[in-house]
Amino acid sequence: MTMTTTTTRDSLPDLIIDPSPGLRLRRAIQDTGSVLWRDVIRTTRQPEMLAFAVVMGVFFLVLFNYVFGGSIGAGAGVDYLTFLVPGVFVITALQGAQQTSLGLAADLAEGVTDRFRSLPMSQLAVITGRTIADAMRNVAGLILVALLALLMGYRFASFGGAVAAIALATAVGYGFSWLGAAIAAKIRQPDMVGMLSMFWLFPLMLASTAFSPAETMPGWLQPFVKHQPISVASDAVRALAGGAPAGNDIMLTAAWIAVLLIVFGPLSMRLYRKID
Amino acid sequence: MTTTESSPPVIEARGLTKSFGDVQALSDLSLSVNAGQVVGLLGPNGAGKTTAIKMMTTLTTLDEGSAAVSGFDVTTRPNEVRQLIGLAGQSAAVDEKLTARENLELFGRLYKIPRHERRRRVEDLIEQFDMAEFADRPAGTYSGGERRRLDVVAALIANPLALFLDEPTTGLDPRSRADLWDAISMLAAQGTAIVLTTQYLEEADRLADDILIIDHGKVVASGTPETLKRQLNRDVLEVRVATEDDVATVLSVIGEIDGVAADVAGRRVGIPVGDGASRSLELLRAIQDGGVAITDFQLRRPTLDDVFLVLTGSLAVDTEEGAA
Ligand SMILES: Nc1ncnc2c1ncn2[C@@H]1O[C@H](COP(=O)(O)OP(=O)(O)OP(=O)(O)O)[C@@H](O)[C@H]1O
Ligand SMILES: [Mg+2]
Repeated sequence: MTMTTTTTRDSLPDLIIDPSPGLRLRRAIQDTGSVLWRDVIRTTRQPEMLAFAVVMGVFFLVLFNYVFGGSIGAGAGVDYLTFLVPGVFVITALQGAQQTSLGLAADLAEGVTDRFRSLPMSQLAVITGRTIADAMRNVAGLILVALLALLMGYRFASFGGAVAAIALATAVGYGFSWLGAAIAAKIRQPDMVGMLSMFWLFPLMLASTAFSPAETMPGWLQPFVKHQPISVASDAVRALAGGAPAGNDIMLTAAWIAVLLIVFGPLSMRLYRKID
Repeated sequence: MTTTESSPPVIEARGLTKSFGDVQALSDLSLSVNAGQVVGLLGPNGAGKTTAIKMMTTLTTLDEGSAAVSGFDVTTRPNEVRQLIGLAGQSAAVDEKLTARENLELFGRLYKIPRHERRRRVEDLIEQFDMAEFADRPAGTYSGGERRRLDVVAALIANPLALFLDEPTTGLDPRSRADLWDAISMLAAQGTAIVLTTQYLEEADRLADDILIIDHGKVVASGTPETLKRQLNRDVLEVRVATEDDVATVLSVIGEIDGVAADVAGRRVGIPVGDGASRSLELLRAIQDGGVAITDFQLRRPTLDDVFLVLTGSLAVDTEEGAA
């Protein structure tokens, strides 16, 4: 039955029929590398995207520290900048995660997704490559924000603490990238996607311990504030950056990231496959 | 032992049917393309051409029917199908931030063409399709025709067994169009099975071994260009007269001659004529003998509308050309 399919193709790749799981995985990793290569080129061609990625972090850092710092910082128990910087790290990483949404939506609008879907490639790679590229840009953005914080007088407990804080913030951003991917695959129109990303980011961000301690918020809101992912992540990054014992926060953050990946990984793939 | 008399078709579609809500985009389209053959899907806007291409290239699901490339079913074996096909869709699907070279490199990687081979292929294609001038600029800066060219070339990167081109020459200038026609003919000569869609009778005529004319999702005619032309490629004699009464007289005069379906628009009568000039003279003389004052006349090549008029007896759309 398969006799008709052994066509030799002028030194081009051989037809692969029923690849083993191992080969499939290898090809998926190769495809992710190719998409990553493409997305990194795109990022370097659009330096303004890196600026967008840090602008909100810079904005919050300056605004909260110099304008609201005194009043909010009163309950922080420490110098407010020390409290604020790790929270801004997390917010910066989350804003980077929104770029995943916008980037995928732009692909869908440009029609390049149609070509990807007609190619013999892992469709998952379109999203994994993108999320990894966004994570890489996030690292660059976080380093810029860290440098600004240093200029403003912030000090990490140690170099290792700084690296760990940036790494954890990036990991949180990576988890949320998959939420962004699911939104893009579902909604597809770039402007709608941009709006919707704001819908989840702003409430989560403002009702969190990123900028101010839970105790400064209304009592009824506190249970939510204390346990939601952005708070947990902010507390964990704060502990790492400040060299304090992190307690459960790192474990809880890892758990939140795992939940995001487990829920939105398969969901965004399913939505992406449904594009018709 | 396994050699067969005639090799099986590379592309085979049976009864392709698809609707979007209330719109019946395609119903019961069947086609089969052998190695080295070109099949043209010809039809006006909304006929269902793109839908057919998308169904055969795994991009959209089939409501009914089946399609296969090299024996691999698009629904059950999409991964094998995708290794064998090249697609240039209707909207140019290239990365606007990447240069032509980078786009081709990316698609070559995704087809898993080995690095060395890939480099050579990219350079060959850039040279062959005369893209060197803009190959290192981001595609977002290209003219419509340059982008279209890149899009078509991207479909060729893996030297596919089956090539699908959705209106490949739309937006190209005459020179680029002729070049692309040559390239398509050459690919077919090398054994590629090709499905292409077009709105131009001339293009289908020039390239296709077999033509399917579709309208509103249905195949209204099919055959080789020669058979179709025998039915379709009649010149049209257009006669303009002074009054409504004259129109009636003209219709009765030509009705007596051979009862062809004439197309009336205002005081203009379009008459399909088999073999152009001599037949036209005969008709004009007969009309004049009938006592009608002809204010103007012209002999023109058939448009797609004429083709549909002849084929379906409907679609008498008045193509206003303005009084001249
Ligand atoms: N995703 C969709 N949702 C709803 N209707 C659709 C969709 N895709 C196509 N259609 C409809 O199906 C019909 C066939 O569309 P198709 O794109 O196949 O036409 P076409 O022959 O390619 O036309 P054109 O020459 O304009 O490209 C049209 O009426 C179109 O409006
Ligand atoms: Mg179309």
